[in-house]
Amino acid sequence: MSSLESLVDQLVPQAGHDTHLRTELLAHCQEILTSHIGQAGDADIGNLSDVIKRHLLQASPNGASALRFQNLLSRLLDQPVLTRKYASLQFLQSLAAAQKQSSVSPAFLPSLAPAPPSRPISKAPSPIELAPAQKTPKGKSKAELLREYRRKTGRPHLPEHLILRDTLYILQGISGKYVQFSTQNDLEASSDIVFNDEPRHIISAPTKALVHRLAEVGYLYVRVNAFVQEREGKVGVGMIEQSLCHHLQTQLTEYYRLIAVLESQMSAAPKDDGTSPSSDDRSIRGEETGLTLKRLDVWIEDWKLRMRMMSVCVEGARGAHGGALVNLIHGYADNGDPFVRKFTNHMLEEVSKPFFETLHKWIFSGELNDPFSEFFVAVDPELAHLQYVQPAHDGIGNPSDGGFGGLAGDAEDLEQRESGLKLWETKYQFRKEMLPSFVGEAFGRKIFSTGKSLNFIRYSCQDSDWVATREKISNTGGTLKYSDISGLERSIDVAYRIASQRLFTVFFEKYKLLDHLKALKHYLLLTYGDFADQLMESLSPSLARPANTLYRHNLTATLETAIRSSNAQNDPPDVLRRLDARMLEYSHGEIGWDVFTLEYKVDAPIDTVLDPESMIKYLKLFNHLWKIKRIENTLNKGWMRIAGGAKTFLRIPELDYYWHSVRIVMAEMIHFIRQLEAYCHLEVIECSWKNLEEFLEKKEGDLDALIDTHRAYLDRMVKKVLLLSPKAGREENLLNQVRDVFAIILQFREATDDFYNYCLSEAARRDAEKDAARGLATYAQPTERRHDSKALPAILGRVQEYSTSFSERAQTIVHALQSHADLDCRFLGIRLSFSDFYKTRKEQKP
Amino acid sequence: MASRESDRIASVQQTLDTLYDISQLLNTGLDKETLATCVTMIEGGASPEALAAVVQELRRESQALKAQAAPNGR
Repeated sequence: MSSLESLVDQLVPQAGHDTHLRTELLAHCQEILTSHIGQAGDADIGNLSDVIKRHLLQASPNGASALRFQNLLSRLLDQPVLTRKYASLQFLQSLAAAQKQSSVSPAFLPSLAPAPPSRPISKAPSPIELAPAQKTPKGKSKAELLREYRRKTGRPHLPEHLILRDTLYILQGISGKYVQFSTQNDLEASSDIVFNDEPRHIISAPTKALVHRLAEVGYLYVRVNAFVQEREGKVGVGMIEQSLCHHLQTQLTEYYRLIAVLESQMSAAPKDDGTSPSSDDRSIRGEETGLTLKRLDVWIEDWKLRMRMMSVCVEGARGAHGGALVNLIHGYADNGDPFVRKFTNHMLEEVSKPFFETLHKWIFSGELNDPFSEFFVAVDPELAHLQYVQPAHDGIGNPSDGGFGGLAGDAEDLEQRESGLKLWETKYQFRKEMLPSFVGEAFGRKIFSTGKSLNFIRYSCQDSDWVATREKISNTGGTLKYSDISGLERSIDVAYRIASQRLFTVFFEKYKLLDHLKALKHYLLLTYGDFADQLMESLSPSLARPANTLYRHNLTATLETAIRSSNAQNDPPDVLRRLDARMLEYSHGEIGWDVFTLEYKVDAPIDTVLDPESMIKYLKLFNHLWKIKRIENTLNKGWMRIAGGAKTFLRIPELDYYWHSVRIVMAEMIHFIRQLEAYCHLEVIECSWKNLEEFLEKKEGDLDALIDTHRAYLDRMVKKVLLLSPKAGREENLLNQVRDVFAIILQFREATDDFYNYCLSEAARRDAEKDAARGLATYAQPTERRHDSKALPAILGRVQEYSTSFSERAQTIVHALQSHADLDCRFLGIRLSFSDFYKTRKEQKP
Repeated sequence: MASRESDRIASVQQTLDTLYDISQLLNTGLDKETLATCVTMIEGGASPEALAAVVQELRRESQALKAQAAPNGR
């Protein structure tokens, strides 16, 4: 006998005798039990006890029974026997409520008849809720009326669990039976949801709206998934993109897990409609844990945000690449919603992993490990494999080279040497658009420079051991991460400092950059006075000859002599070895002075600082200074001749006046050239050198700073020594005038030489005449005399012409210098006309 | 073994007593036997509210029968 039967027997004793009545009652009870009465409701025992207490308080307002109930309830909860205390309590409560109700209005009872299926009614109303219901004796709410109407029309709502199942499909990007993605093939259109209405059922508008909301996640999922799948199969997907895909895949796995959990919850729900009484317990559990569309909405809410974020990234990933992609994601990291922010940060952490790995390799070992060029440092593909090897010094000072052969060899040399600076400047390039925005630009430059320095030390300076040790040390210091930006900055700062320091050390200790700079200054800028004098002296006879009669081996031999006979011999051999004399390319008619030049050869990695361009500037400077030196030398010699000779043996009284004026003009010239020389050496070269030295002592900045400083040093000298004016198109005006003056001086010197020779022969003739008068043997030729009488006015005319034109030029130069843009050049003007010599002259003239 | 069985019976009895007390307090009008049957059914998974409805229905039926029987007997 089932418990239901015993219940019937207990409550309706009459049925014991009447089997027909009994079966009828049994069937009726069965029906009630399997109905959906009490589907809704929450399994909260606290809530239920509140309801009961309220009920009791209403019955006996003194509260004694409520208190008693509380006691009993706690006792009941202590008991281990019952598994469904809640249900038992609810049973009692419903019964009590019904009892009361029936005592008030028994006529209401029939309304407790089974409610229509699929529309669970709420649990039995509490007395308070009941009160208004009693006022409408008809007992039919609007909702009930609507429900009845629907039943009549014969199109009931589609059961929720069917829609639910379809919705879960939609969440996985699969079209269901009733709810489908629209069938258009392209991705954009598939965002539409189509409801496949069956004729027998309808889906209500609110449900449709709900499904629409849920379907957003499904749609986004399809997109993200498509992206991941697409990238999976592709070759040459960047590391950052790969890590993005990886992260997305992990997220999607999480998502699948959620879907699986939801699905398992849902599988309990469909059994609600089962007709067997044994499924009753399930229906109750379903009511506690089962899934409804609304619950699904709540569950999915988080994922909706995440999916949106992911979808945005996916969209961005189509256009962006590498660092730019990181940038894009970083743009969302400042979202106001803490959830989105957290999610984005997490994603960024994952996605930026390869970036930081590359960064680590770059700033600690100076290697660019970036197969998909995603880093903000790009390598020039042409130079990437150029592992610069120090060339042997065989090309330097090869004495067998003749004039042209030597030139050809040098040209080759130059070409080869170009790569030092080129390597430094163009091997790696900074790409701003790829720089992640969480690393500032200044910082990015620092990173760039650090890696470049390390790379340079490693490959161009042959110091990979040091880099390797550094790398080992750095590896113990933990990894770089997005979440630890301050730590990142710190370690980059440290790395930058160390790399720059090291680069300086390498340059100054291993490659003796300072020695080379000094040597350049000493030899090419002629600050070794004794050396320059020696060289000038030994070279001047051969330089006066036409250029094509000069040979390089002669020049180098002379150079060697000059070095040996001056203080320069104490310089390190490595420096002397690099010094070379050669000729510039010459054209017909030029003499040795025009084409001779000293040269200083540098090789890698020093040529990074002393690049060919700088060397050309040095050569320019040398040429100019060498010319000044030559003029000075010429004047000195001439002065010695006329000052000494004229007083001792050139006794031609009628020419004394001319000699005097020649001496005056020459003194003016000497003043001019000495001031110019002093200006070049004191004010320009030494001052610039001091600036450079100060920088070098500080040892700050990186190789770029060093290059820049050296360049500034050189530019300053070029600008001032060559008196270049900033005016475009007229930069060399003054220089040309100075060169003209040099030419005039040389011609003047020639004229005075002629004059001297004339006087010499004239003096000799007169001596002979005097000797003859005294009766001594004479060797004067009478023909000479005749010739000289024509020559003298011509010579004097030349001397006069050159001296006036020199004065004029000098005056223009002084005048131009006084309005020169450069302050130092203006000082030169003041030096040249210190006693306002040229100014007064100018005033006298008009 | 026997003691554990008796323990169990005792605790079942106690639980039932407690429930009966609550039932009395709520004035459900159930006797102890009926209550025991109902609790068994609920433990078996029956919906409490449906069961309440059943009890109501049966009571009504029994009253109706009684009412029928009374005039008949008179």
